[in-house]
Amino acid sequence: MVELDNQKEAPIPSDYNEDSDDSDSTQHSDESDFEDSSADKDGDSSSGSSDSDSDSKSELEDGSPAQDNSGDSEDAESQDEDDVKSEGGSEGSDIHQEGVGGDESDSSEDEVAPRNTIGEVPLKWYEDEPHIGYDIKGKKIKKKEKEDKLGSFLANVDDSKNWRKIYDEYNDEVVELTKDEIKIVRKLMKNQAPHTDFDPYPTYVDWFKWDGAKHPLSNAPEPKRRFIPSKWEAKKVVQYVRAIRNGSITFDKPKEEDDAYLLWEDDSGLTEKANHLAYVPAPKQKLPGIKWDLNFGVQYNISFSFEVLLVLIISFCLSGHDESYNPPLEYIPTQEEINSYQLMYEEDRPKFIPKRFTSMRSIPAYENAMKESFERCLDLYLCPRVRRKRLNIDPESLKPKLPNKKELKPYPITCYIEYKGHEGAVTSISVEASGQWMASGSSDGTVRVWEVETGRCLRRWEIGEAVNCVTWNPLPDIHILAVSVGQDVLLLNTGLGDEEEQQRIKELLLVDSPKASEETGKKAPSVSWLKDDKHDGIRLRHLKTVTSVEWHRKGDYFSTVMPAGESRSVLIHQLSKKLSQKLPFKLHGLAVRSTFHPSRSIFFICTKKTVRVYDLLKRKLIKTLYTGLKEASSIAVHPGGDNLIVGSKEGKLCWFDMDLSAKPYKTLKCHPKDINNVVFHRSYPLFASCSDDSTAYVFHGMVYSDLNQNPLIVPLEILRGHANSNGRGILDCKFHPRQPWLFTAGADQLIKLYCHY
Amino acid sequence: MLQNMSPGHKQSDCFKSVYHFSGITPREPKKKFKGNDKTYYHVKDIAFLHHEPLLEMHRAIRVHERKIKKAEAKKNVERANRLREKTPKPKIDRIIRQRYPRFVDALGELDDCLTMVHLFATVPATKEKKIDVDLIHKCRKLAHEWQAFIARTHRLRKTFVSVKGIYYQAEVEGQTITWLTPHALQQVVPDDVDIPTMLNFLQIYQPLLGFVNFHLYHSINLKYPPLLDPELEAEAAEVYGLIRYAQSNNKPTILETSELVESEQLESKQDGPEIQNKKSELRLAQLQHQLPSNEPGALMHLVEKAAGEDGEEYDDETKQCKNLFQNVKIFLSREVPRESLHFVIPAFGGMVSWEGEKAPFAETDQSITHQIVDREAQGHRFLSREYVQPQWVFDCVNARIILPTENYMVGRIPPPHLSPFVDYGEEGSYVPDYAKTIKHLQAAARKEVLPLPGVEKDLEDPQNLLAEGIIDRAAANQAAKEKQKLMILEKQYHEDLKKELQGATYTSAGSTEVIQTGESLNNGQANIDDVDMAELVMPNKKRKLLKAMEISNQRKQSKNDTIIRRKKKLDEAQNQRS
Repeated sequence: MVELDNQKEAPIPSDYNEDSDDSDSTQHSDESDFEDSSADKDGDSSSGSSDSDSDSKSELEDGSPAQDNSGDSEDAESQDEDDVKSEGGSEGSDIHQEGVGGDESDSSEDEVAPRNTIGEVPLKWYEDEPHIGYDIKGKKIKKKEKEDKLGSFLANVDDSKNWRKIYDEYNDEVVELTKDEIKIVRKLMKNQAPHTDFDPYPTYVDWFKWDGAKHPLSNAPEPKRRFIPSKWEAKKVVQYVRAIRNGSITFDKPKEEDDAYLLWEDDSGLTEKANHLAYVPAPKQKLPGIKWDLNFGVQYNISFSFEVLLVLIISFCLSGHDESYNPPLEYIPTQEEINSYQLMYEEDRPKFIPKRFTSMRSIPAYENAMKESFERCLDLYLCPRVRRKRLNIDPESLKPKLPNKKELKPYPITCYIEYKGHEGAVTSISVEASGQWMASGSSDGTVRVWEVETGRCLRRWEIGEAVNCVTWNPLPDIHILAVSVGQDVLLLNTGLGDEEEQQRIKELLLVDSPKASEETGKKAPSVSWLKDDKHDGIRLRHLKTVTSVEWHRKGDYFSTVMPAGESRSVLIHQLSKKLSQKLPFKLHGLAVRSTFHPSRSIFFICTKKTVRVYDLLKRKLIKTLYTGLKEASSIAVHPGGDNLIVGSKEGKLCWFDMDLSAKPYKTLKCHPKDINNVVFHRSYPLFASCSDDSTAYVFHGMVYSDLNQNPLIVPLEILRGHANSNGRGILDCKFHPRQPWLFTAGADQLIKLYCHY
Repeated sequence: MLQNMSPGHKQSDCFKSVYHFSGITPREPKKKFKGNDKTYYHVKDIAFLHHEPLLEMHRAIRVHERKIKKAEAKKNVERANRLREKTPKPKIDRIIRQRYPRFVDALGELDDCLTMVHLFATVPATKEKKIDVDLIHKCRKLAHEWQAFIARTHRLRKTFVSVKGIYYQAEVEGQTITWLTPHALQQVVPDDVDIPTMLNFLQIYQPLLGFVNFHLYHSINLKYPPLLDPELEAEAAEVYGLIRYAQSNNKPTILETSELVESEQLESKQDGPEIQNKKSELRLAQLQHQLPSNEPGALMHLVEKAAGEDGEEYDDETKQCKNLFQNVKIFLSREVPRESLHFVIPAFGGMVSWEGEKAPFAETDQSITHQIVDREAQGHRFLSREYVQPQWVFDCVNARIILPTENYMVGRIPPPHLSPFVDYGEEGSYVPDYAKTIKHLQAAARKEVLPLPGVEKDLEDPQNLLAEGIIDRAAANQAAKEKQKLMILEKQYHEDLKKELQGATYTSAGSTEVIQTGESLNNGQANIDDVDMAELVMPNKKRKLLKAMEISNQRKQSKNDTIIRRKKKLDEAQNQRS
């Protein structure tokens, strides 16, 4: 604001500058006056003092008039200059005068305002003084007492005119600007003429008075050319005329109607479309009532993209007589049904609701006609068109032709005997090599031996702990039962067979306890062979829980699997030497099951995702089979040895043909729940799977000796009958070694025998 | 090989319309390199477009438009108008030839073209949507020319009055062509429809239909386009004299129907082809001249053939179609949808007249057999004719027999109008009652020498005492019904016989079946398992397909079931009432 103030006051000094000539001249005159006066004084003094100065006086007198003259002449000149100025700057004079007029008001204010007479002395000099300067009478102007800031602030806040107030340092007072002044300031800020009365665009007043003029400005006669037609124009016209005659210029031709003509005059020779690329004609629009023809046979079907095809199918299904203006009454949905459409998903909702009009007169215009036509247009040029091969899609034809089941008999069909007696879920069963006896282990901590034919429970051992796995020795003359219970594996003498055999068995089951201790001294005790007095057998103490026990075909070796055993998870034991050894291979993944090859020295270990096949003699990995399953649960090897099946916890069954590939030959998704066990029959081409969904599937799995022929897999039978308990169904299944019978052990404490008749 | 163009990719309008014209569509590549949301064109297609002369034309048009804009900016209205008139127009014929090398190809893809042209014939011309009046008139003209040809050559096969409009199906040169005409009411142009796109399509559909019409007219020795000569309007009476003269010669070879206030049906014999041709042209000219008047009715003209008709050979179906309404003379009341009836009735060989000054015969004509009425309020009722609702015509056409008119009498709710496109052959599909009755009637008509009840017989000579005629008809109707019953019984008997004949083989197969079932009884689940077993071995892909099919079949079945359920309810309600 201070700056603005200066600006505002700027005209005042400039005004003075403009008048500088005058002031100069006056100064001159003043000077001359001073001189005159001095001369006068001199004269006075001289007249007053002596005559001796007369010479000088005369000189002076001579000089003075000359000086006077010179001064006069200067005055005159300056006056002349002024005159010239005033005349020359006639335009400027107005403004000047106006400016002067404006200045007058300023000056009038100024006359009041400047109290302080110190001039342009820096105020800093008065900083320490109690006064700020002197007024016109020479009195000190006292500094006002400063208000404290808070007070001044509050005063400012209360005062609505505060923004207009400016503090004048020189005079030590607060000046309040009037509204007009503010306006001037604003105008200046916009670079406009400051004065409100100033009109930047005055109406032009012509200096020449035209009204009374008798004569034109130019009195020249009209030129000839105004009376003669232009030669060049004439030439141009002639040019145009000729051009028109020649036909190079034509005027508004009658509108050309592109008329139709015989376009396809000679299309007889054309057989195929001579198009650049395969052209796919657009599929026709659907008609009301055309059903999607399912029995199309093999032929090309053209569709827009897949989604459109789906939509088409749906809309075909919906239309029939619906679209008629007067459909049969049964086609019209009731009000309730229409209301129920609101509850459906928007995609499922029928697009078209049939309506009935009793006369043709009352049919209204179809509101979507344009829209549907437009959508069709969009389809025509925006949708990719695809030729789709439509196979014979009779649903029945999709199903593979299975051989007649009759020809694949015998296979287990009906439940023949139930073996009752266990008081917990039967976790494992095993059939003796001769097929006369069957052993079962249960979670109630007992192992029982049954006579297969009669269902009589022959023997019962109280183990005291839940039994994981029970297996008979595969040799018919060694009646030894391997039972895995918690961390132990028990080898039990069943007491079957004649005395000779019993003698051999007892010899086999004799354990040298010090020998075991000796062994433990050397190595970390992976397994300790102990004598079990209670059950009259051998107890193999493992480090971790043993889940499965599997015998070698010769009955001397057997393997155990401890999933948590890490590097020692799979062990192979030799019964005759009472030796245990861990596998010399590294296992990738968690071992689930292990099994021996039925004829060669090959060992299969099923981990969660793969099956690893080792040669025990050469001590190397032969093959890894990738199941593609999430978690395998069981494995079984075909008696031929080249095929194996793996069951998984997601209910899938993989058949591997090891000669064919490391990937499953076939994956069957049969069970909705975990598969607990899979088995092959030893002699019949049968295999079975049992699962927690309380069903067991029996398949026909024929492996041909001809290597070119793939194995034939035919699902034969679903065996139901077990009840579900605690979410578990059938826990184990085993085939009879001679007959096409299947034993199943359920979580419902039952063992069932399914026979082929 | 494929170039991708995302939808976001700004296609110039020029390119867009060239796509429409040259019929290039996006492709579905086997592998989509840039994702599913992109549109893929074949590189060759695009390269092909680059050499398309149309492109040059479009550029020229764009330049021209710029000139117009400039002229308008300079307020040089005159120049702008002149330039606008001179805007270059793309020639479509070459493109049509390129897209449809053979005439049959063009016919095969005519469905969309016809539907669109017929739709635009009823669309209101609006300036803000840039729908030109001329365009609509041209559409109308083309549509009527097409209909005239179809009717003249009796190629129409099926009609269906739906809520969306009227479907027609014709067979031309072995191609089945189906099109939809909207009801004769003004269409509303919704805002969410992009009219320029549709106009772009119309730009090629119009000339296409023009060329097709030309070819068709040429094939029956007629000049195309029918000349426009407004002067001849005044001579209408003279032409009428010619027609009368032709009629007196009693060789009904020519039918010309047309509609409007002054539209007429002409029935004449061809003495001199030239005269006839000229005459028809005059009529057409006159009618087309009237088109611009904004009458809701539409024009329909049948063109007569210049050369002798007798030489033309019709196949059986066409003959059947031609003779359907042979002995029927129909008069249309004011309120019926004339446009379609004028097309349909002559197409099946009928004579039609209407209320108008130049109608071929007046309402009072005693030889009229049927009058089509859609309203109960009637002034004078002639006893010599049947007053039926318009649906009767369409149902007759679809059934290919003259249906009894009792159900279609005025004031009654007509029997349901069934879609002729439904195929009842499929097993398990629901057959409405009326379809069954029509089937019986058809069978009756085919077997008997005398077609259905004395309808025609009586009406052929309407001078007979009407009461007698009615009685006769009633008796005949009864007789026919009895015969139908007999027929049905006979059929049943035949079927039984057939069954017996098959029996021998049946039993042999049956015995094994019995054994099988006996075996399966051993295990109660055998049958169920059978089904599951096959599915177990199926590969995933097929299993999914099967499942999808099962779902769709189920949906169909459920749809069928709801209809049957509703039907049952309706029947029950009726029984209770009665």
